[in-house]
Amino acid sequence: MFIDLRGLTKRYGTFAALQDCTLTIERGEVFGLLGPNGAGKTTLLRLLLGYLSPTSGQASIDGLDCHRRSVEVRRRTSYLPGEVRLFGSMRGRKVLKFFAEIRPGGDFRRSLDLADRLELDLSRRVAFMSTGMRQKLALVATLAADTPLMILDEPTANLDPTVRGIVAQLVTESQQRGHTVLFSSHVLSEVEDVCDRVAFLRDGQLAHLQVMHDLKRRHRIRARLAGPWYPPPDPLEKELVVQRDADGRISIETSGEMAPVLQWLSTMNLLEMNVQPVGLRALYDLVHDLGHG
Amino acid sequence: MINRLLLKKSIAESRLLLIACATAIYAFCWTRVWIASQFSMVQFQTVLEQFRDYERFSPVPFEQLFTYTGRVALTFDEPIVVGSVSLWAIARGSDCISGEIGRGTMEMLLAQPVSRLQVLWSQTFVTLGGVAILAMASWLGTYSGIMTNSVEEPVVRSWTIPWLQIEIPNLLAEKEVRRIPLRQEIDPGHLVPAAVNLFALGVFLAGLTTLFSAMDRYRWRTIGLIAMVYVTQMIMKIVALASDQLAWLNRYTFFTAYEPERFVSIAMNSPESTWSFLLRDASGAWTELGPMGYNSLLIGMGLVAYLAATLIFQRRDLPAPL
Repeated sequence: MFIDLRGLTKRYGTFAALQDCTLTIERGEVFGLLGPNGAGKTTLLRLLLGYLSPTSGQASIDGLDCHRRSVEVRRRTSYLPGEVRLFGSMRGRKVLKFFAEIRPGGDFRRSLDLADRLELDLSRRVAFMSTGMRQKLALVATLAADTPLMILDEPTANLDPTVRGIVAQLVTESQQRGHTVLFSSHVLSEVEDVCDRVAFLRDGQLAHLQVMHDLKRRHRIRARLAGPWYPPPDPLEKELVVQRDADGRISIETSGEMAPVLQWLSTMNLLEMNVQPVGLRALYDLVHDLGHG
Repeated sequence: MINRLLLKKSIAESRLLLIACATAIYAFCWTRVWIASQFSMVQFQTVLEQFRDYERFSPVPFEQLFTYTGRVALTFDEPIVVGSVSLWAIARGSDCISGEIGRGTMEMLLAQPVSRLQVLWSQTFVTLGGVAILAMASWLGTYSGIMTNSVEEPVVRSWTIPWLQIEIPNLLAEKEVRRIPLRQEIDPGHLVPAAVNLFALGVFLAGLTTLFSAMDRYRWRTIGLIAMVYVTQMIMKIVALASDQLAWLNRYTFFTAYEPERFVSIAMNSPESTWSFLLRDASGAWTELGPMGYNSLLIGMGLVAYLAATLIFQRRDLPAPL
């Protein structure tokens, strides 16, 4: 495993910002962190970077303790903070040069190529850049580092849809080079597009862990019955969650192959039928007890 | 412990302030010497004698001020000189940690493979280097003032009584003045202890401010705190000078260790004690701290504050930017 969290806890007095978080992330994985504000996502990321000392438990990256060997951990990690603040008096080009030079093996040429790809004007001073431009500049500095681990906290905040697409593409490219990406975002569609696994945090606790491949196989079928109800055949029954009401409305959730389900449904007289992938939105609502039906 | 790029960044961020402070100090010190050269010693003495009742507030006896060296040494106690060094030390010390945290730039800085020690000491190197430059600028300002200015002194004509070899002033002679270059009256080397004392004050203030900065997340609060300490210590010094009952307060204010005029006076009158740690009486017993004793005290306390700041910054949690 590349990232290993064992009972990681961070408390401020009686308030637990993160509680007993145990999790492993494999090398080359794109891992998403989801949760409402204050769920503990940023606390987790800051513990990984050694900004905070854990109250108990431990975190390690590539076998290195995140708190005790923070500099070595950061040599293997590039981080984009949720709140990007850069050196106001420097011009964009100088900022990229600074970050390329301060990191052993940093590549300024790669930074310039990325800036070009994101259509970033590097001649301006950071103080005179718009919020979106600053975000792009920080993104370029982070992505150009080419480290085995990238931690991105809300990377697409303040960015237009075109640039968001490019960022998703860059994350995928990093994964193809064998890098691990830890991705925290509130934009569920982005997480759905790029992540292999997703952790849901709630009130500082790890509430649910989801493999995205499994989620993509899950569908929700809504239909109205006009004739008699036939229960699903035996092997299929285990894969389905069926709800029926008195009006003949049925809701079925499936986590397996769709063909046998559709074959079973075709034996009944249905007035209308709607098939939808479950998606992160529904799971998010379920985990956070928002239950929109 | 020091990172070349962080050093470069720190120099780039602070060079304007340093140039401004150094220019102000250099220009003021030159001007101050020029002003001193505009009044003849007789005029100055007459004015100062009016304030004999307040001599206790003077760091040196008035007799010392009746010398050109003593008058020029007062430059190192002028608010512009002390203020500029304090401004630099407080501005850089406060920016070091709470400034970077407050601006949110510490987050990006510490996302790089640099240690907190490197972040702190690269800035400290620039801060202390700046203090040394400012102290040097103060001495260079007075040195150039001494080298380029002259004073007018009245020429006293006299009669010599033959055989008796007694001289009596010729009151009937026309009044004459002559210009004497200041370099004939002042040895610039005597002012070096004052510049060293200014450096020591800067080190102490920078260290204390950095310590407050290491504990805080807001630069304005760090500056507020150090300003409060500064003013309180200054009031303690004034009160201690004004009242015999409260003279003990002198022991608890760092301004007691900042006595440039006194150290210049020691350099003039007892050159062997110019760099002494302790001053001794005729019997050889030590009576009080010498110039280097006070300087070491200031520099030592500054370095202890830096050490404490390092320990605090190494261990503290880094708050998220607001």
